[in-house]
Amino acid sequence: MGNPLTTPLAAEQPVVGQKPLPAPHPPARRAGPRVAHALGVVAPWIPALVPAAIVAAIIWQLLVASGVSLWPLRGPITFGWSFFGPHWNSAQNQWGIAVFVVGSFLTAVPALFLSLFIGLGIAIASTTYLPGFVTRILDPFVDLLAGIPSVVYGIWAFLVIAPFFGTQLNPWLYDHAHFIPGFSGPPPEAIGTGLPIGIFILTIMALPITTLLIRDALRSVPKDLWESGLALGATRWETMRRVAIPHSTRGILSAGFLGFGRAFSETIALAMILGVQAAYPANFFQETATLATWMFENLDAAYGNSQWLAALSEMALVLLAVSLVVNILGRRLISSFVAYDVAGL
Amino acid sequence: MSAAIGSPSETVLATDHLTVLSKQKKLLDDVNLEFAPRSLTAVVGPSGCGKTTFVRSLNRMTELTPGLKVKGAVRYLGQNIYDPAVNPVLVRRRIGMVFQRPTVFPMSVFENAAFGLRLIHEQEDEIDRAVTESLQRSGLWDEVKTDLDRPALSLSGGQQQRLCIARALAVRPRVLLMDEPTSALDPAATQRVEATMERLKQDIVIVLVTHNVGQAARVSDRVAFLHTGRLVEVGPTGDILERPKDPLTEQFITGRFG
Amino acid sequence: MATAQATGPPLASDSLLYDRSARTRWRIGFDKWIGRLLPLLFLVALFPIIDLMYFVTVRAAPILSIGNLTNTSPYANLNGNAVGLALIGTFYVMAISTALAVLLGLFGGIATAEFLSERSAGWIRMTANMLAGTPSVVVGYFGYFAFVVYFGWGYSMIAGALTLAFFMTPYTFRTVDLAYTSIPRPIREAALGSGAKPYQYILKIGTPIAFPQVLTGVFLAMAIGIGETAPIVLTTHTSLLVPQSIYSGVTFLTYLVYTGYNLPPGENGLAKAFQAAFLIMVIVIALNIVVRIIAARYRKRLEGLFQ
Repeated sequence: MGNPLTTPLAAEQPVVGQKPLPAPHPPARRAGPRVAHALGVVAPWIPALVPAAIVAAIIWQLLVASGVSLWPLRGPITFGWSFFGPHWNSAQNQWGIAVFVVGSFLTAVPALFLSLFIGLGIAIASTTYLPGFVTRILDPFVDLLAGIPSVVYGIWAFLVIAPFFGTQLNPWLYDHAHFIPGFSGPPPEAIGTGLPIGIFILTIMALPITTLLIRDALRSVPKDLWESGLALGATRWETMRRVAIPHSTRGILSAGFLGFGRAFSETIALAMILGVQAAYPANFFQETATLATWMFENLDAAYGNSQWLAALSEMALVLLAVSLVVNILGRRLISSFVAYDVAGL
Repeated sequence: MSAAIGSPSETVLATDHLTVLSKQKKLLDDVNLEFAPRSLTAVVGPSGCGKTTFVRSLNRMTELTPGLKVKGAVRYLGQNIYDPAVNPVLVRRRIGMVFQRPTVFPMSVFENAAFGLRLIHEQEDEIDRAVTESLQRSGLWDEVKTDLDRPALSLSGGQQQRLCIARALAVRPRVLLMDEPTSALDPAATQRVEATMERLKQDIVIVLVTHNVGQAARVSDRVAFLHTGRLVEVGPTGDILERPKDPLTEQFITGRFG
Repeated sequence: MATAQATGPPLASDSLLYDRSARTRWRIGFDKWIGRLLPLLFLVALFPIIDLMYFVTVRAAPILSIGNLTNTSPYANLNGNAVGLALIGTFYVMAISTALAVLLGLFGGIATAEFLSERSAGWIRMTANMLAGTPSVVVGYFGYFAFVVYFGWGYSMIAGALTLAFFMTPYTFRTVDLAYTSIPRPIREAALGSGAKPYQYILKIGTPIAFPQVLTGVFLAMAIGIGETAPIVLTTHTSLLVPQSIYSGVTFLTYLVYTGYNLPPGENGLAKAFQAAFLIMVIVIALNIVVRIIAARYRKRLEGLFQ
């Protein structure tokens, strides 16, 4: 008997008096179970890849429709860099989308800042300054904002808010601010459509997203950390400002990205109140178009015109690219795997 | 008690029939305890006996938990800290607190220590002086003096906890509450923190919650034993640990229950 | 201070009641006031919901009637105030798209949650998030080019339903994935460890536990789907008949709102828009409430399972 630790385990050592156990069989070499096993590995991937397949199909179809010469496609239409030119005129075969990009940014960026600011305030109030039973009632209401369909926002904004903007707010702004460059020029229309109400509605639509994400970020500040701040003689505001908010920077950034994504891709509500003009707004009060609204409204008119359709499809690709980038960046900042059941999140 | 400010009084902090109630039960029941200057009192007891609640009621941290009612009084130099005219912000500057886990802020070592001072807008040179002094008092100075701007999170656990102590000391409280400050630390770090406690108790009042009777034996002058919210016995460390008067105390010390 | 220490640094000022420097008073006051102002921001968020719901209800109430809701005659739906055709059309489209979205999401979600490695699952989840982040108008473009043009179906119910299904799928997918992933590990390990095959575990143990959450996901996807306009407008227009086949035209509720909202008052297009908006709101809110009820009961029922 050698050292049991170093004796190799060949066959089992027999109990005294019995025959040694035979060595184990090699694995079966029949085809059936192995095919089944291989299928079992591959099969889950088929349904799992459905979202990826749909995204791929969307991109592919748009590439085809836009005639982009991208290997291995060989399309008949290419726009080259003039696609990002400043003028869009279908009658003259000019396909520059810069005007719409400007429109998208002019509406989405102010809306982002406003919704971040308001969302931060609501989140702070909800986590720190209001008693529990109040926030339990109010928070779901803010979340409900996200569930209201875009078209219902549109009809409400057009019939209720736009007249107010047109007859009260815009003229007031115009009177008081027309010395600022962007606010001078032709006076605002009484109908109230244009940038101001566009920014207003985008703010409301991005608000539930920013509020939710910032609220979640603030809530996940460790209790000990928060109490340490207070225990040093800081007020709630000071602790919030100097401890909790710096700790939640990632969450606030993700709120910014995802809120911006929401505002940037908003189509219907904006189309209903922004007006549709493929022109740079002369001042803050004018109608303009964004990538999304123009795409939506123009498709009908482009029927049969393959150049026109191709240009619109490329716009779709641009919009898709921006949304995806913003979404992916924003999601990377959210540490936990959370599914937000909100359109666009 | 209406002791005027500045009158000679041996007690820095005293609880006066302190009772804390939650919605379901009584967490503290009529606790009367006095803390003399330059002392370290260890508060011990089995889990759930209310020692954390007790220490949190000494600087009004109980207000952060909804649903807790505090009855009785806690007097700091004769003034009831629960007086409605007193703002908790003021209380917490005089009575500091260190928590179980090191809770350094995501800033540099210097900024952590300076946190409380920046709130009250001291001059920059005064802040420098106070930071140096508090880091020395907590025994961390030698290890960080070369680079005060490094992120506090890059320190080891024991160093972080000593930074939390320095941070609390920087605003010069008379009392320091410590809620099981070494339970998340390894033995070497624990030893360092205990050494700090021994040094500090010669200047200020320390109230130390600990589940480790050995620690109480090592650093405290006085031991208070709590059981289900009641103060069972209090006395000098040697007396309590070797000649406890109450049978419950004796059972706890000898490890019959934890 | 008579009790000043013989050695040691000077101590903080000791009066709690009287020593209130200007700075401290300012800090405490600021905190108090911001604590009163910030909650007012809630009004900014609450005003739109309340005003919007009030508006839609008030405008739709005088026009709504059982007659309007059930009338499916072409004339009444075109020139009158009837929305019966839209209701039926919406029902058909939602039925197809929800069924498809649930099917795709269920299989995909379970596959991701149960059969894929954590790393692969991460990538798949990212693609699901990408699809969820695709703007609805882009999905509408896809539906137009693929179904209306390329497949040659024209503006039809099936084009709209498929497009909407693709838009809804990532939501069902993610919710199913999350539902099965959040089954507590001990339960999963106990089942598989005692010899259950994966499909047995999923059918007998996983699904009953995950079911409420999956159901909430389905309802939420429906709430999103029924409110979408861009994919629908680009792939279906409208129809004056009850849909006869999947290739026939169909009217969706949101389409009525979009086409009628800027008509002059008195036009029945506007009247139909109000009714449609009201119906959409009611359905969406009802679905949201049902989801909350399910979520609340689900949490209570399984409280013991999740430590």
